Amino acid sequence: MGRKILLVEDDRETSAYLAKGLAQEGHSVEQATNGQDGLFRATDGTFDLVILDRMLPVLDGLSVLKALRAARIETPVLILSALASVGDRIEGLECGSDDYLVKPFSFAELLARVNALLRRREARVDPADHRLTVGDLEIDPLSRTVKRGGRKLDLKPREYLLLEYFARNEGRVVTRTMLLEQVWDYHFDPGTNVIDVHVSRLRRKLEDGFEKPLLHTVRGAGYMLAA
Amino acid sequence: MVGFIYWRTHDEAVSTMRRQVIEQGKVLSDVYRSGGNAALDNAIDDTITYADPQTAVALLDRSGHQVMGNLAGLPSAEPLQEGYRNTLLRLRGQTTPREAALVVHRLPTGQWLLSGRTVGEGLALRDTLERSLLIAIVVASLLGLACGVILAQYVGQRIGSIAAVANRISGRDLSQRVPVSRAGDAFDRLGQQINAMLDRITGLMEELRMLTDSLAHDLRSPVSRLRAAAQAAAENPDPAEQEELLGSVIRQADALMRILSAALEISRSEAMTGRNQFTWFDAGDLAANLTEMYEPLAEEDGVALHYERPANPIPLFGHRQLLSQAVSNLIENAIRYGSSGGEIRVRVRKLDNHVRIEVSDRGPGIPTELHADARRRFGRLDSSRSDEGAGLGLALAEAIAHLHGGELVLADNQPGLRTTLELPLHQGQQEEPRAP
Repeated sequence: MGRKILLVEDDRETSAYLAKGLAQEGHSVEQATNGQDGLFRATDGTFDLVILDRMLPVLDGLSVLKALRAARIETPVLILSALASVGDRIEGLECGSDDYLVKPFSFAELLARVNALLRRREARVDPADHRLTVGDLEIDPLSRTVKRGGRKLDLKPREYLLLEYFARNEGRVVTRTMLLEQVWDYHFDPGTNVIDVHVSRLRRKLEDGFEKPLLHTVRGAGYMLAA
Repeated sequence: MVGFIYWRTHDEAVSTMRRQVIEQGKVLSDVYRSGGNAALDNAIDDTITYADPQTAVALLDRSGHQVMGNLAGLPSAEPLQEGYRNTLLRLRGQTTPREAALVVHRLPTGQWLLSGRTVGEGLALRDTLERSLLIAIVVASLLGLACGVILAQYVGQRIGSIAAVANRISGRDLSQRVPVSRAGDAFDRLGQQINAMLDRITGLMEELRMLTDSLAHDLRSPVSRLRAAAQAAAENPDPAEQEELLGSVIRQADALMRILSAALEISRSEAMTGRNQFTWFDAGDLAANLTEMYEPLAEEDGVALHYERPANPIPLFGHRQLLSQAVSNLIENAIRYGSSGGEIRVRVRKLDNHVRIEVSDRGPGIPTELHADARRRFGRLDSSRSDEGAGLGLALAEAIAHLHGGELVLADNQPGLRTTLELPLHQGQQEEPRAP
């Protein structure tokens, strides 16, 4: 479903590339090239998401963010920045952003995160039914039990957390970085494919003996859980 | 001070004399009272003969003429009055009148009894004292002045030599050091501290230079591979192959980004930024999470990853994310280069004043002479291999250890490599937080 996205980025090449990509996904994109203009538009309009660069002319990204939050505007904000150190990321998140993506990034990564943030704006699922269902897979977060086709699956604690995260992002691409941050709470980039190994173990448990694959690899992006 | 001394001694001398004079007068009066004129005459005679030359004594008749006594000139023309007073007297044998303390008694016969002392001695004393005090003042002042000049010159010279070094350094010569004598005084301490500071600055600049040298050297391979892949992709007409090659271009670019991010993180850590994000956490927990994350990868590479979780929590005040990254690097290094040994051990221990986090493997290890190199390199030690994983682990792990005031230690695990993070418990850590 197409959403309204505000893109605040002063680098013309980047913003053109992003706007085009997001438009192709069916979203409507407005652009601002400096912080002040971005702040004005964000407070004035009603956007589903703001993509905010940090290094902006006139007013920098973090100041825009702080001003938005001070004005009680809760629109999800995704920060894009070349400022990549752990300290910078923490700073960005603490100022009230909902996600922090480091340049250079792949568009697939950006898209995955944008969709994850947009998902939060959807109507909440019926609270009476808290179970997560993907095809014939059933997950009960309260008891942390997983069943597929009626049969209980035996997962290690971390495997369960991984699966629950996938299930909550059903049908959307989940990148390795997202997994590292959300399932392990690590904000650095490991040099190895350590995440891949965890995912393939989970996949084996999920799919061995069943016909339909649920956990798909999305080339150049990450993974997706979908029936 | 001088005035005070003068005033006190003078005062002292005067009151002593006054007492003596009054006493003397009383004695003579008593003599007259008990023995009459004859006794008094004798007493006066004795006084003149035997008493010291400053004693003045005289018996005057009713009209004020001296009947007996040793006054040469009578006291001033003021009418005679009973009592004590200061006056000028000239004694027989003296040429000039002197200041004197005098007691005057009126006898019942109408005669006047004068007795007293001239202040010759006191005066002389005063003079001498005054003179010597004056000399003392002058000498002291001169001495003080001389000392002041010498001290000022000495201080000026010592500070001057420090200032000269600072000047030369700001003029670009970082090798200068402040000269230090063996006196061990405050100047030497200052000089030593400045020298230590200069050593640290020189060290940091040298490290920075080596870092950028290493970086420049180790980026060559990934960059040339990236270029080669991009060129091949541009020249390849087959779309499927092209996609493959472009995928490789992206991977190389990612690897480069990782190297640059690590370099950035290293320089930030060495510059001690990030300390304001320190929190309390359990070091045992940190290691447990990391080993749990790497266990599947280790198993896949055919090596067993062991972690002995300590019995008690080990609270550590530090940067949880960065330390996780450091230990993750050590584990990844062990998996990548040490898996031939079949076993990797992770251990966390609390020692007296520091925490030790250890990752050891039983692989080929690193020869001791290459340890220093290993810490600095971003690529593999053996640059002929073309794998895409950059061996940045140790350089960053060391920088993060430094951020925590600690060290990265490399040792021969006999066989294999043992990498250890030694992290001191800071002063603030003595008071550990209460369990929630």
